[in-house]
Amino acid sequence: MAATFTEHGRATTRRGLLLTAGGLVVALAACAAAPLYFGDYETQILFRFLVGLVLAEAWNLMAGYTGLVSLGTSSAVGLGGYVLIGLLNHSALPLGLVLVVAAVAGAVLAATAAPGLMRLRGLYFTVGTLALAEALRLVMINAERFGGASGLFLDREPPVQSELLWIATGLLAATWLVLLLADGSRLSVLLRAVRDDEDVAAQLGVRSYRVKLAVFAAASALMAAAGGVQALKLGAIEPYGMFGLRWSIDALSMVIIGGLGQRAGPVVGAAVVVISAELLADYPEAHLALTGVLLIVMMRFAPRGLVGLGADIWARRRLMRGVAS
Amino acid sequence: MTGGPLLEVRGLGKRFGGLVAVEDLTFAVSEGSVTGVIGPNGAGKSTLIGLLGGALQPTGGTIALAGQDITELPAPERARLGIGRTYQIPRPFLDMTVDENLEVAQTASRLRLHRVAARARRGEILEGCGLGESRNWPARRLPLLRRKRLEVARALALEPQLLLLDEVGAGLVDGEVTELVDLIRAIALRKTTILIVEHVLRIVRECCTRLVVLNLGRKLADGRPAEILASDEVAAVYLGTAHRPATGSYPAPAAGAAPESPPDNPPVVAGAALACLVGGAGDRVGEGLPLLRLDRVSASYGQVPALREISLSVAPGEVVAVLGANGAGKTSLADVISGSLASRSGIIELAGTRITGLRADQIAALGIAHCMEGRRIFADLSVEQNLLIAARRAAPAASSMRLEAIYALFPVLAERRAAPGTSLSGGQQQMLAISRALMARPRLVIFDEISLGLAPIVIDRLYEALAGLRRAGLTMLIVEQDVDRALEIADRAYVLEHGTVALEGDAHAIRGDARLRHLYIGMAD
Repeated sequence: MAATFTEHGRATTRRGLLLTAGGLVVALAACAAAPLYFGDYETQILFRFLVGLVLAEAWNLMAGYTGLVSLGTSSAVGLGGYVLIGLLNHSALPLGLVLVVAAVAGAVLAATAAPGLMRLRGLYFTVGTLALAEALRLVMINAERFGGASGLFLDREPPVQSELLWIATGLLAATWLVLLLADGSRLSVLLRAVRDDEDVAAQLGVRSYRVKLAVFAAASALMAAAGGVQALKLGAIEPYGMFGLRWSIDALSMVIIGGLGQRAGPVVGAAVVVISAELLADYPEAHLALTGVLLIVMMRFAPRGLVGLGADIWARRRLMRGVAS
Repeated sequence: MTGGPLLEVRGLGKRFGGLVAVEDLTFAVSEGSVTGVIGPNGAGKSTLIGLLGGALQPTGGTIALAGQDITELPAPERARLGIGRTYQIPRPFLDMTVDENLEVAQTASRLRLHRVAARARRGEILEGCGLGESRNWPARRLPLLRRKRLEVARALALEPQLLLLDEVGAGLVDGEVTELVDLIRAIALRKTTILIVEHVLRIVRECCTRLVVLNLGRKLADGRPAEILASDEVAAVYLGTAHRPATGSYPAPAAGAAPESPPDNPPVVAGAALACLVGGAGDRVGEGLPLLRLDRVSASYGQVPALREISLSVAPGEVVAVLGANGAGKTSLADVISGSLASRSGIIELAGTRITGLRADQIAALGIAHCMEGRRIFADLSVEQNLLIAARRAAPAASSMRLEAIYALFPVLAERRAAPGTSLSGGQQQMLAISRALMARPRLVIFDEISLGLAPIVIDRLYEALAGLRRAGLTMLIVEQDVDRALEIADRAYVLEHGTVALEGDAHAIRGDARLRHLYIGMAD
């Protein structure tokens, strides 16, 4: 079994890949069936968890797998939201296709920004993505054509709760498919090579620019689609919220609390962040402070996140039991 | 076994700002050969590897592989054409297994091997490189020697036509060198063309079919290894006598010569004018107590031992040279004394006071100035600011007096006093680094490789200045690859080998000692 998964919980063999895929399908089915046994309130929280999880998975693909630490999640989220509302209002395209177009818009945004952003490495890339997100927000606030500061309204009723949940579940399925590809294919080794030492990777024939661009575009597409789903639920969007720094911070917090680069990190992190936000719903400042403290504590004492912490404790207990017997 | 030229380099040049690393280099490597590139530190050897591998873009000239011009090709494309390189300091993907490290090269390479075939091939390469049993280890767990082998194995996974080995032998002890020689020979038998940059001359002697000698970025000689290594001219370059017209007389019969500048080269500045730069008036000459004393000091970089039980002493007013081949531990010794590198064991004393374990700034405050290898000029500060920062504890009158002494010593710095530190030429930067060390009015100055990468005429100028400081009574520890320069000015010398003192004594005696040449050229083992 040891060789089936890496220490990061990623599948390395075909058997491990099948096991992972099987587990994910069961989880997706459970989500899709949730409206049957959950009330409105729980379904709503599950929806929030799913959208957050898609963002966290995409962010983990960039930062954890490829070393591209972004603070620009909100640029893709906001773009996706605006594209979705705009197309639903002004075209006759079906919802599914509109979501695909929103995702493509996210990828195009990444590909457009890449020639500039990818020149920057490490911290400079991070700051560059933040600048992009803030610039987009300012543009949208001032663009009267897109509703300016007051934003856009969906000119029809948003789908019902259960339908929204199914859409979000479908998006998560697509996200997990992308991650399975990144994990299981030969691509995985290239991503890690670029993350660990880009110069060495280049000397081994890895076209690191293309690898980073592919990951950036795929992650942005997923983030934009998530933004679209979120906008669909809201029915009304404005630039301060859709392009707000909150999306970037949320994705980052989830992954770091759960475990950067860990396969199960985003799931655990998204659950912690969404549930704690709900428990502290009446004290949003307290939730923000708690997340901040948690981030600092995790970075200092558990750089591999809750998942890594759990794995360590599990390994130690097994070792103790082995010694005892 | 050898065919037509696989690699052709024409007029290749590379400048870093004002520093010329490689200039007008032309040579060809025939298919199936093992070509060695040797030369002193700063000769441009690693730059050449970078240029060939595509990590660096040349500022002139062309590179052709099998007739195809690859000068403009970026690194990944060159790797796909079959140029594999290793790094001097191993850079494995630490969080991957050894096997996965090779998989990166295979996945990206032009050969699309099937999964099963690729796995089998990786096994074959790892066995060949002696990494068979550590195949599934994380690379982080590998000790240095195995990391070096992984560098080679990973480059081999590209199935290269041309393999560039950058100092794979540095830091290895003799038994390890033997294994490496066997490995290189085995690779060459597979008809891979190899270019080796190496300071370990045993590897060069035993593996290479041809040698190219670089000096100051230019090709000095090119030919069969036996001829090249026997050539006095090459021996002189390695021992740093390139500035002398007569090179056939090494070891120089200099036993009676005075260590001062020759009479036709009068001192530029009188010793007295420099007195304000020399600290430690209390460190009396001839009292018998050494100013600096090291007793069995050891140090290491992570797993790599750098110094093993070194004992050394410097008397007040004395000039001591520290010599040795690259990797012998010279710079580590300088770093340990100034506190930049922590010692593992042993005692370091300054005028009888123990300074072992003190921080670098505390040691500097006690009067040891360290003119570090690589100059380390503050880029954003002007020449004068760079100087004053070292004298900020002195009274304004004292520091302006020291500035004047410095400007008398190096007039060019006075001309450029307002210029930013990095706009200076390499030689001027080195003058500034030396001057900055003096501005603190130190009791002892450590000069680390001040001649590195500089034109001979500039080195002449620097050593004239050092001679002036010597007359003013400054205590100096001179770490130098340029043996003749250092022995000319020094009273005593220590020769390091593999982090230990291999030879020590009076500078004249050392100069005449046949073992010195052996230690450098490598016939001692």
